[in-house]
Amino acid sequence: MLDGELNRRELLRGGAGLAVGVGLAGCGVGDTGGGSKAAVEKPIKKKVDGDLVYFNWAEYIDPDLIKGFEKLHGVKVRESNFDSMPAMMSKLRAGIAYDVIFPSAEFAQRLISGNKLRKIDRSKLDNTDLVYSQFQEPWYDKGSEHTTPYTMYATGLGYRDDKVSGLTGSWTDLQSADSGGRNFMLDDFQEGIGMANLVKGYELNTTDSDELEKSLGYLKGVKPKLRGISSDPITNMTSGSAWLHHLWNGDVVNIRNQVDNPEDFKFQKNEEGIPVGSDTFAIPTNAKHPGTALLFIEYMLQPEIAARNVEWIGYPMPYEGGATEAFAGLVKDDPEIEVTVDDLANGQQFENLKGDGRVAWDETWTEFKAS
Amino acid sequence: MSVDVARPSPAARSDAVPARRRPPKAFDRPRFLRLFTGLFFVFLFAPIVLVVLFSFNSSRSLQNFDGFSLRWYERFFESESLRSSLLASIEIALVTMVVATALGTLLAYGLVRARTRWSGALNVVMLVPLVTPEIVAGASALLLFTQVGFQLSLTTIILGHITFSISYVTVVVRARLATISREVEDAALDLGATRVQTFRLVTLPELWPAILAAGLLVFALSFDDFVMSFFTTGESPQPLPVRIWSAIRFGVTPTINAIGSFMLAISLVTIGLALLLPRLLGRRESGMGVLLGREGA
Amino acid sequence: MTEQRFAAGFLFPGGLWLLAFFLVPLGILLAISFGYTDDLGNALYGWHPENYERVFDPVFVPVLLRSIGFALATVALCVLIGYPVAYYIAVFGGRRKSALIALVVLPFFVNYLVRTYAWIAILGDDGLVNGTFDTQIRFLNTPWAVIGGLTYGYLAFMILPIYAALDRMDPALIEAGKDLYGRPWLTFRHVTFPHTFQGVLAGAVLVFLPAVGDFVSAQLLGGPDEYMVGNLIQQQFFAAENWPFGAALTTIMMLFLLVWMVLYLRSAAREAQEVTA
Repeated sequence: MLDGELNRRELLRGGAGLAVGVGLAGCGVGDTGGGSKAAVEKPIKKKVDGDLVYFNWAEYIDPDLIKGFEKLHGVKVRESNFDSMPAMMSKLRAGIAYDVIFPSAEFAQRLISGNKLRKIDRSKLDNTDLVYSQFQEPWYDKGSEHTTPYTMYATGLGYRDDKVSGLTGSWTDLQSADSGGRNFMLDDFQEGIGMANLVKGYELNTTDSDELEKSLGYLKGVKPKLRGISSDPITNMTSGSAWLHHLWNGDVVNIRNQVDNPEDFKFQKNEEGIPVGSDTFAIPTNAKHPGTALLFIEYMLQPEIAARNVEWIGYPMPYEGGATEAFAGLVKDDPEIEVTVDDLANGQQFENLKGDGRVAWDETWTEFKAS
Repeated sequence: MSVDVARPSPAARSDAVPARRRPPKAFDRPRFLRLFTGLFFVFLFAPIVLVVLFSFNSSRSLQNFDGFSLRWYERFFESESLRSSLLASIEIALVTMVVATALGTLLAYGLVRARTRWSGALNVVMLVPLVTPEIVAGASALLLFTQVGFQLSLTTIILGHITFSISYVTVVVRARLATISREVEDAALDLGATRVQTFRLVTLPELWPAILAAGLLVFALSFDDFVMSFFTTGESPQPLPVRIWSAIRFGVTPTINAIGSFMLAISLVTIGLALLLPRLLGRRESGMGVLLGREGA
Repeated sequence: MTEQRFAAGFLFPGGLWLLAFFLVPLGILLAISFGYTDDLGNALYGWHPENYERVFDPVFVPVLLRSIGFALATVALCVLIGYPVAYYIAVFGGRRKSALIALVVLPFFVNYLVRTYAWIAILGDDGLVNGTFDTQIRFLNTPWAVIGGLTYGYLAFMILPIYAALDRMDPALIEAGKDLYGRPWLTFRHVTFPHTFQGVLAGAVLVFLPAVGDFVSAQLLGGPDEYMVGNLIQQQFFAAENWPFGAALTTIMMLFLLVWMVLYLRSAAREAQEVTA
């Protein structure tokens, strides 16, 4: 009955199944190429043309605002979430037709160069002039034709003021400050390698192999002094595992909402450099309801709506008026948490790495994690 | 150990057949084992108790219980997207249960009764999903759908779930099938029944408790599945465990605990059915016994 | 129609399904493992066997060894904890046996993530344990936290087969053993354990194989030094977008696991033959 005998013949037959798979793979049709220019340029009529298929990080929008949008235009919002940019990309590559997606700046650039995002005529949107001037001609989207900025954030060190001492305002505080051994680095290859690059005085996005090697050396030196490498800064700090954490400024706001002693949680921007990033929202070329998506973008730009969103997600949105005031209100006791105009001007931004550069960064990070 | 030289009592002498139902004598006082098992259950249920308890907390805190409240459950049921995720999870689990049970039962029968050249290899192929790490199963499923151009949707999730569930059904049903004597089937054939009739009227009813138990097991596994669902989910609605994964990084909210407790309740009902239904339907065995391959409980 | 052909027909639906939805995807994965990625992060086919060379890069050897080590430790713990519990329920459970076993299985139906986060709340530095006993013990982000998490996650897979084996055992055997050996421990060693060994082995396989590829425990409960091969694979698929290398790692890991599974099947088959002989 339970035949454990595996002779050559049977192994071959089992292998036949695998061979079919390999063969099929050869004639597979994956979505590997770029989109067409025509699909990108086609103008979008600003009107309701169906339900909104929405794809974003989880907990990254006030759910009441979704309900509000649904009521306002009489549509449904079908939400799904990704938990990393590569996860978003693999779903996009699988051909799913979302109406509005939220790529980070570097990934927006990738999508634009692959003709995957539709052109948006911003002049048709109300309140579009409220968007910060720094984002009118962003490096990742010339003319800001395809994307609208959603949030902006700065990376720094979050810490417990009542527990940590010896901070000097440098990235090296992560391992040098007295944090009782409760320190964490972000599990993010860009943030990790970027931080090392800044400490060593290199360009944030350098792909020079010598420099990367030295940064890897630096990271390897930091590793033994860390308690963990994690992308759950909120859980780590609220559970007490972390007193010092490499994180984004919005995380501090969220942590404060969940603890009994919010005033003890602070954010430090570091002198070697402040990585500034932004998330955008955009309409993919294969969107089935681009009109509704356009209405959604316009909806989020409204000052009162943006203000409520800022208060809920804890991250600043780069629009004048309501949004800016809302965030200032959230962090009035700790302006350090703000992303100021200076930061936007001087802070370094992560670029979209290509080809060998990207491979070099991947390998550096993989080696760091495994060492 | 003292040697009893005195005359053995009449009771001991007549006691020849070891048909006792008492536990073995030397372990008459299993104090250590009982304590150990008790401690084990405490540790096993500690996080469960925490989750359920704090899902009824009136405040957001996960450290202090501030009073009883149903507000997080209200939030859960009021949220349209959470509701549709719940319904999606149930739908996926139901379809998976029906299809996987059917396919797995057929496969079990074939593996036990047929001795073809393929049986050996097929047996191994059937067992491999049981030990394949989910991330492998998920990633390869996603690759398949992407390559073939099949849109991700509830259907792809169901396809993925069925694939890893078949093996569980086959293993459970096969164990049961092995205990069914062929003589009954042979007798039916001798009496003029066709093979199909024999299968339908003789074999299948005997297999029924196993099929039921396996089906409910599949339902529970599918309902709680995360990794495979994560890879194969399309746009909304996403199954509940995927929602939890995405949301839990931002902090465990009491709503998440409420969802977890609710899922536990559903699983409780499922297991309860697995244990009781066979008995209710007039069988002597319990579903759990069948699941573990015992002839009778 | 002979019984052979009748029954063989039954193999087709399930067999075809597994072929189409399990083997073929694995085949595609195998093909991708020889591929490469382009600038947009797409995985493309090609012939790059160096992906496999990279798997054996000395940098990764500790990760592979560690995964095996953690999995073995998990198996050991599962046996040490699971056997006594299975024994108690099987031998002393009486009429409540089924209910007790159901209780063992029940926690596994609470979402895995929710359970793990509950443990973080209990064992965290500011968690329940440290809070209640006013201690400063650091449980989390240690190798033992990961092993503990793995054990907690897979314990049922060890208890169930051992319980089934114990339950199937004829109680008369234990009686005879006690008459022969007298002491409980000797009885256990010479009678009970050998008869339930297949159950222990089955449990060991069911725990070891998935534990090697686990990534959730290490990610949530471990520190930087608890990086396992499952995390490495997950990183390739999710963060690094290097599906070819991830596929190569996966193939090697699967081959490794398959070897053990085949060995186990052979041993189980031999055992079955000996029993019936």
